[in-house]
Amino acid sequence: MISREEALDVYQQLRTIRSFEEKLDTMMKAGKMAGFLHLYVGQEAVAVGVCSHLNDRDYVSSNHRGHGHCIAKGVDLKGMMAELFGKKTGICKGKGGSMHIADLDRGMIGANGIVGAGIPQAVGAALTVSVKKTGGVAVAFFGDGATNQGQFHEALNIAATWKLPAVFILENNGYGEATPAEFAAPMTDLAVRAKSYAMHSLVADGMDFFDVFEKAGEAIDRARKGEGPSLVECKTYRFLGHFVGDPIGYRTDEELNDWKTNRDPLPTFETKAIEMGLVSADALRRIDAEVTAEIEAAVASAEEAPFPSPEDVLTDVYVTE
Amino acid sequence: MPTPIAMPKLGITMEEGTVVEWPYAVGDRVEKGQVVLIIESEKAEVEIEAAETGVVRHYYVDAGDTVPCGTLLGAMTEGEDDGFDVAEFEGTHAAEAATQPGSSAGRAPRRPAPPRPSAAPVRRLGAAPATPAARVRARALEIDVTTVLGTGPGGRITREDVDEWAERRKRLVVVAQGVSLDVPQHGSGEPVLLLPGLGTDVSAFAQQIPALSASHHVYGINPRGVAGSDAPEQEGYTVAQAAADAAAVCDVPAHVVGASLGAAVALELALAQPAKVRTLTLITPFVTSDARLDAVSDSWSRLAADVTPDVLARSLLPWFFSAAFLADDTRRERIVRGLGTTVARVPAATLHRSVTGLHAWSGTRTADLAQLAVPTLVLIAGGDLLTPDATSIATEIPGATMVLIPGAGHGLTIEAPEAVTEAILAHLSAAS
Amino acid sequence: MARTLSFTAALNEALHIAMEADDDVIIIGEDVAGGGGRKDQGIEDAWGGPFGATRGLIGKFGPERVRDTPISEMGFLGVAVGAAATGLRPVAEIMFIDFLGVALDPLLNQASKMRYMFGGKARVPLTMRTNVGAGNRASCQHSQALYGMTVAIPGLKTVIPSTPADAKGLLLASIRDDNPVVFCETKSLMNSEGEVPEGDYEIPLGTASVVREGGDVTLVGMGRTVHTALEAADALAEDGLQADVVDLRSLYPLDEATVLASLEKTGRLVVVDEATPYCGIASEIGALCIDKGFDFLNAPVKKVTAPHTPVPFSPVLEDEYMPSQEKIVAAVHEQLGWNT
Repeated sequence: MISREEALDVYQQLRTIRSFEEKLDTMMKAGKMAGFLHLYVGQEAVAVGVCSHLNDRDYVSSNHRGHGHCIAKGVDLKGMMAELFGKKTGICKGKGGSMHIADLDRGMIGANGIVGAGIPQAVGAALTVSVKKTGGVAVAFFGDGATNQGQFHEALNIAATWKLPAVFILENNGYGEATPAEFAAPMTDLAVRAKSYAMHSLVADGMDFFDVFEKAGEAIDRARKGEGPSLVECKTYRFLGHFVGDPIGYRTDEELNDWKTNRDPLPTFETKAIEMGLVSADALRRIDAEVTAEIEAAVASAEEAPFPSPEDVLTDVYVTE
Repeated sequence: MPTPIAMPKLGITMEEGTVVEWPYAVGDRVEKGQVVLIIESEKAEVEIEAAETGVVRHYYVDAGDTVPCGTLLGAMTEGEDDGFDVAEFEGTHAAEAATQPGSSAGRAPRRPAPPRPSAAPVRRLGAAPATPAARVRARALEIDVTTVLGTGPGGRITREDVDEWAERRKRLVVVAQGVSLDVPQHGSGEPVLLLPGLGTDVSAFAQQIPALSASHHVYGINPRGVAGSDAPEQEGYTVAQAAADAAAVCDVPAHVVGASLGAAVALELALAQPAKVRTLTLITPFVTSDARLDAVSDSWSRLAADVTPDVLARSLLPWFFSAAFLADDTRRERIVRGLGTTVARVPAATLHRSVTGLHAWSGTRTADLAQLAVPTLVLIAGGDLLTPDATSIATEIPGATMVLIPGAGHGLTIEAPEAVTEAILAHLSAAS
Repeated sequence: MARTLSFTAALNEALHIAMEADDDVIIIGEDVAGGGGRKDQGIEDAWGGPFGATRGLIGKFGPERVRDTPISEMGFLGVAVGAAATGLRPVAEIMFIDFLGVALDPLLNQASKMRYMFGGKARVPLTMRTNVGAGNRASCQHSQALYGMTVAIPGLKTVIPSTPADAKGLLLASIRDDNPVVFCETKSLMNSEGEVPEGDYEIPLGTASVVREGGDVTLVGMGRTVHTALEAADALAEDGLQADVVDLRSLYPLDEATVLASLEKTGRLVVVDEATPYCGIASEIGALCIDKGFDFLNAPVKKVTAPHTPVPFSPVLEDEYMPSQEKIVAAVHEQLGWNT
């Protein structure tokens, strides 16, 4: 269970991800940003519930919907915002953009534009911590769609065969782009796919921080203890489209409203945390204000920051020193 | 029903064509498949074949005129007396053409017309492309690259050609007012003049020069218009002038060695300026050309204008070498390369002028051979196709030594290099 | 002291040295041990890699650092990329470069781009050893020379040694390079032998080598075609032509200076590559000559490559497919206007 301090921190992260993504949605629609943006709104409890167990020696690989994972793994907000604006001060000097945010110092080994590609990389990171015996673990975040990719299956097979300290976090938000999961795979609980690899698996309520925290905690503990990898399927939902500009149309308003009204991870956390006596509503409202201010500051800083010089196109291709 | 001959549309871009030639006159009978019309479109001549056998009845368009595709050019009928009205048929055709664009009388062209012998040689001196490296080298050496003779593929001017040109221009010897010749020199001692035959240069003696230059000062004389020598614009390069040029190269008496047309020059020099000649060596000489030599020299100068040096060299092989010599594939290819490089140094214009000189000289010295008073060696190739009177020359020159190399072809310095060298050295040492 | 070693033995020696010197170096691939290292049953390495280049490593460095993988190229190559990005120095073996067909993403979109898209903060010291080339009757899917494809991907380096000595030095340099390197081993050279220096040495990536000197024509080769070019140089010498033979060794970075210096000397260049003709190294060398060596050109650049076909099986067909000494000689003759 988490402490009061930790609960405030959890809420601060949930709120930061939510506000960060909503701000991007607004700015993108206002024409202030370029590129593809895949927003994480609705799935915040998964990233925060998992990353609450991690420290800087642990690794995370992410996917195209990666802002939440980055924030939860502690990547600098200002650096992220500047990156999304394509600025020189961006966390990747403006060379990666939304789908390629990484911060190796924080163990964030990269968002990824190729569905499923981050999964074997997390297994590789698990191999590193295993060979180097650092005691770390490696976590791969990916969606339901990625479980239909070869990289998912090949990586799980290797991780399980080698008993690596890897944890696979499957965020099943019900849709692979515009296609409902049931049209892409013949089972409801994708977690059963772990059984093919004799791998431990769990199913969590991805809208509930506490459930994700518990199940992910179990998986991460097993990995740290050398008991091999696990797959945790988190049932979740994205409140926005696949990308900003998605005309949607593949799901009903009723379905969306039901998830937003009854299962939004932020109010769910707030209610439970208050019930558990971990936080007060006032404290959370103060956090809301702080987060808003922090995000506004990040936007202002990103807007003021310089763009890269055109000649920077040539740098950072190779390690040259 | 008359058959129309119309301007065909050859390819999607052709919009009009020019009638170049009507090979038949009105009233002539033309067999199916024969060329009934030659047109030009987009710079290419195309032969149009008759679609059916018949008689030419009328030409609507004259040679030289350019008309749009589809225009009625002429008409044929099956028999010479079949009904045909010039104006009526033109009207009928125009009505048909309006509904059938692109109709034409001829079948698809058989093939582009072969290149025709042309007064303007396509491989003129300086007309060949130069490689980038050649251009750079020419600039550095301050040479006009268009003056350089190209020996590369298709006569392309290479860097080596520029270097060689520069070397040649360094060793020029002035032989007349405003005329300098490219005279490669080797060794020291008594002078030897080497005079190459028609259409070749001093490299024809490449296999004799090392031995000769070991004991003599060898002057290889590239005649007017050959290799690096000046090519003054003259109607012909006469044998007498070539002899005068040779005499001007060296002012002391010399051993004079000539091959074929070079032998003619040597003979001329010995007759005109006997004091300049210590000994005379005539390799496969002639004093009167025959029809075959005329035919070869004529085809040679035409080929030089139209084909690559490689093809030219190949066409000369049977005239220069025996079957036995050519039987070795590797050697034959090596000879082609060498000869190809050699003939590349003789532009078509030079050949034409040299042939003119050869014809003018032919037959003029037959009666004078008996007057020759210098020690003379005549080298005769047993299989020589080009010099029918070589043996009689040897007989008529008083005291001449005759050496016959059985079976060999006209290109004796190349086919029997050692025998030629030995005979010359023996002749020179006997004279001194 | 140099000894005579086979290509495979030279590679094996390099791997031993690299693993001895750096604990971060690991070996990963199909049957790099073979038998999976069943020490309890007295089995260590049944194969030691498909060609034997990794023999003895598992016995010396243990199964933690020498890993037989499932037949799962995309999976283990992705794992190797992740391991490289997080601090190991993996040497992954894709048995035949043809298998990149099922494993390209980790190279194409991941290893090659991490440093750039992460703003210069990633290092991916991955070496991908792989077998290339035809001539062994291995047919369409085990014989291709696909290095042109990896050369075209920014962020990767690609090397291809032609001798055992270069194989050892280039492999050590590749493993220690902080960038992903595609290390191509030519099938038909694996059993070839040559002098190999002892000890630890590196041949810097991006340096070509002039393996024979001559002033008349430059023959550029890589891997097996270096040897074909040398045979052609012997044949040309019989015609009195002296060839400069350049072994590229490194395809990216490309040692442009050595190629151009040779072209400047000879004015004529024939590039010999057993890959197919389009969008490959041969075309790239041709473009280089035109772009930066235009004024040196004394003849058109000639490409002697495989035809634009798959690699055939039948010996008669495969022999025809390969660049040969005769084809090189013919190309030079064409440049000189001989036999045309």
